[in-house]
Amino acid sequence: MEIHRYEKIWLAGALLLIVGFIATVSYGAVGAGIEMINDEGGQVDSAALDEHPKFSEPGTYKTGPNEYDVYVIAKQFLYEPGTSEPIRVPANSRVTFHVTSADVIHGYEIVGTNANTMAVPGQVSTMTVEFNEPRKYGLLCNEYCGSAHHAMEGSIQVVPQSEWNETMVVN
Amino acid sequence: MSAESDTEPGDVATPSGDAASENGPPIPDPESVDDEGYVIGSGRSGIVRRIDHDDFDPVGTLVLIAIYMAIVSAMWIFMYFVEFLGGDLTVIG
Repeated sequence: MEIHRYEKIWLAGALLLIVGFIATVSYGAVGAGIEMINDEGGQVDSAALDEHPKFSEPGTYKTGPNEYDVYVIAKQFLYEPGTSEPIRVPANSRVTFHVTSADVIHGYEIVGTNANTMAVPGQVSTMTVEFNEPRKYGLLCNEYCGSAHHAMEGSIQVVPQSEWNETMVVN
Repeated sequence: MSAESDTEPGDVATPSGDAASENGPPIPDPESVDDEGYVIGSGRSGIVRRIDHDDFDPVGTLVLIAIYMAIVSAMWIFMYFVEFLGGDLTVIG
């Protein structure tokens, strides 16, 4: 079959684009260290979260030098902690969020960032991010979860290291 | 159909038996337009000019596709490397 020379050019260009897309995503995973959120967080009984060692008292737990775990329960229509009082983490720290839901599927998005996961009843979603500068982030639910879904929001307060103290560890 | 097989590349073919169309677009055959309207496939098939495969030179299409490719590449680089990788709080574990 004879292929026109222009057609060869744009076939090669299209192939190059596909190879380029795959190469950049591979670079993101290997070079830049972008991780996907998976099911490694394990499962919990969504009806018995108050018997869970951590979800019974959700909040920030220190796990190492500059390393923290934050346990968050999403429920209609708030984050616990997050909505009534902000989640507090120190600046320049590595924070792993463990998010689950007590009722229906919710979203857990740190607004304007790449940190975003679903909160699924019975499943713990874990994601690790690094907080650098002290600032406040918004939280919002991006999965329709009921009549007040639009009002389901919260915040994360990144506290300067100098102001951080142990009373902030568990909210 | 005889006009097709007789025409060589570069030739200007004359639709058979219609001298009036030599200097312009083919004039529709009045007999092909009847009361029932246009019948699909009944159009004239006389070849006006025959060219070689590679003589077809759609340089405008080539330029258009090159522009599309450039736009897609630039948007991909911007979206992935600037907006996504440059974004705050990337999931690293």
